[in-house]
Amino acid sequence: MAPEAIVAQDLTYNYGNLVAVDHVSFSVADNQIIGFLGPNGAGKSTVVKMLSGQLRPKAGKATVLGVDVARWPKRVQAQAGICFEITNLYEEMTAVDNLNLFARLFSVNGFDAEALLNRVGLGGRGHDLVSRYSKGMKQRLMVARALLNRPKILFLDEPTNGLDPVSAEAIRNIILEERERGATIFLTTHDMMEADKLSDRVAFINQGRIAAIDTPLALKQKYGKRSLKAQVMGSDGRLKSREVALDEASTPEAVSELFSKEQVVTLHSEEATLEDIFIRITGRGLV
Amino acid sequence: MSLAMINALVRKDITLYFKNRFFAFITVMGLVAYVVIYFLMPQAVDETLTMGWHGPELPAATIADFEEEGLVLRPYDSRAALQKAVQSGDVLVGVVVQQDFLQKLRLGQKPQVTVLSKSDLPDEYRSAFRLVLEELGHALAGRSLSLEVDETVLGPDMAGHNVAPRRRMLPVLAVILLITETLGLASLISSEVETGTVQALLATPLRVEGLFVSKGITGVILAFSQVLLIIAITGGLEREPLLVLTILLLSSVLMTGLSLLIASVARDMLSVIGWGTLVMVAMAIPSFNVLMPGLTSGWIKAIPSYYVVDPIYRVTNLGAGWSQVGTSLLALLGFSMLSFALGVATLGRRLQ
Repeated sequence: MAPEAIVAQDLTYNYGNLVAVDHVSFSVADNQIIGFLGPNGAGKSTVVKMLSGQLRPKAGKATVLGVDVARWPKRVQAQAGICFEITNLYEEMTAVDNLNLFARLFSVNGFDAEALLNRVGLGGRGHDLVSRYSKGMKQRLMVARALLNRPKILFLDEPTNGLDPVSAEAIRNIILEERERGATIFLTTHDMMEADKLSDRVAFINQGRIAAIDTPLALKQKYGKRSLKAQVMGSDGRLKSREVALDEASTPEAVSELFSKEQVVTLHSEEATLEDIFIRITGRGLV
Repeated sequence: MSLAMINALVRKDITLYFKNRFFAFITVMGLVAYVVIYFLMPQAVDETLTMGWHGPELPAATIADFEEEGLVLRPYDSRAALQKAVQSGDVLVGVVVQQDFLQKLRLGQKPQVTVLSKSDLPDEYRSAFRLVLEELGHALAGRSLSLEVDETVLGPDMAGHNVAPRRRMLPVLAVILLITETLGLASLISSEVETGTVQALLATPLRVEGLFVSKGITGVILAFSQVLLIIAITGGLEREPLLVLTILLLSSVLMTGLSLLIASVARDMLSVIGWGTLVMVAMAIPSFNVLMPGLTSGWIKAIPSYYVVDPIYRVTNLGAGWSQVGTSLLALLGFSMLSFALGVATLGRRLQ
């Protein structure tokens, strides 16, 4: 069994009377990508802040890479890369200066800012002021900053939120490369497609609590409903829709009947999305 | 916390400070303007009083005696010419007497004297001239006051070499410069808190103590270097340079602490300017005491900048040494430590 990179036990945090995170417990194996899914205000960012040592839990305990985060936050942060939800770059400095500053804070020897910028698709723009970057470029730079110390654990808080498809895809590829390198990745998002595509496991968080946590496949199997969707030609010459539920005792008979009695024009299978499952489990959508 | 980290942060802060066009402009222009203002101000104090005179010609010996005392008696041909001179400020007051003035004086009678003065002439001057006239009357009548005067000057005797306006201005310029840097640093820190960059810094191995050390060093470098420059250019280091450097260094720490305090309450540059103006007004008050002695009273000693202005003034202008300004220096040290500690506590609370 792989060692655990993250172990959270009864993590709790409240802002005044508002309980943001309510006795959350989970673990993440080393070199896994965990997708933390939930609507805005569900408590995702607060969990990231507690795991990365930015907030001290009001109750419970978090261990990251075997280190008690509340006790030794700097030990965790030295091995972590954090991409914040808000863009917090020095906009009046160049991208290279931004990266070099943080490389010094992480005591990275022989740091090559240009190489890292090439990797995130910002090659040749390193000496531009960050204030002149587009939102997508800034987000790529945020990711680059999170990678500069070759972290063992990456906390990515909504890294593709509001980005154009090209920038979002570039960041997703970097996330997969980082897992290949050996990093454990904690990804918060409310993009279910992204979570499904990238995550080894996903956790649904709603109103500060984890509603479900498993692999995307297992969640779909457990909570999803598979079906066959067909378009058939009606007697009046118009296309009509037919749906046959899969995984039921009557499925073979229903499929046979469809083909014998109807003129099937198109046919495809449909699986439940994580969003469908989230709505089913929590009773609410992701926005 | 390593030196490399602190060095990187200080360099970053100084770079960002000068990338803020407003503060870069007022820093550079301020330095130039303060030096220009200093050198445009009078180099020496004119300690003579000039009084216009229209009436019978006075004895040359009497005029010479009064000139030795610092009173210049300038004759005018007509009352109209004298009135014009008073109005234009050529003389402070004008005295019009009748032609039989000397004769009546000698006979022990009371001659008529008309004194002309501008409406804004301070009351103290009017009283002084009244006394001068009485003394003049005694002198012209051949009588002298039967007083034995024994004068004791407490402190350095500045008679004849009073502190020039530009030298009085020196501590004032220093305080203004320090306050400007206070606002600049406060704006820098406040914008870091608001944009979340400070959050990114603190999510690295950098500890919050390291952040405050770097801000402290940045503040002291910015404030100390500039105030030192202006003091050096204006000759403020000629007397007791080590003492002056110590005062400036402690003053820079005081102002850096105030920067942290302002940054802990201000949300953006506008509110930095708002809070900073309050601080600026309070800190500038002791300067008025130097420019216009007697205008303020003892309560100004409760304002920390008094212990910046007072020792700088006394050391650079009156030749005071360590022992003379020791108490002020200790008070400045106390206020500096207190302001820095308060700044760290309040800003630390905001960062949490």
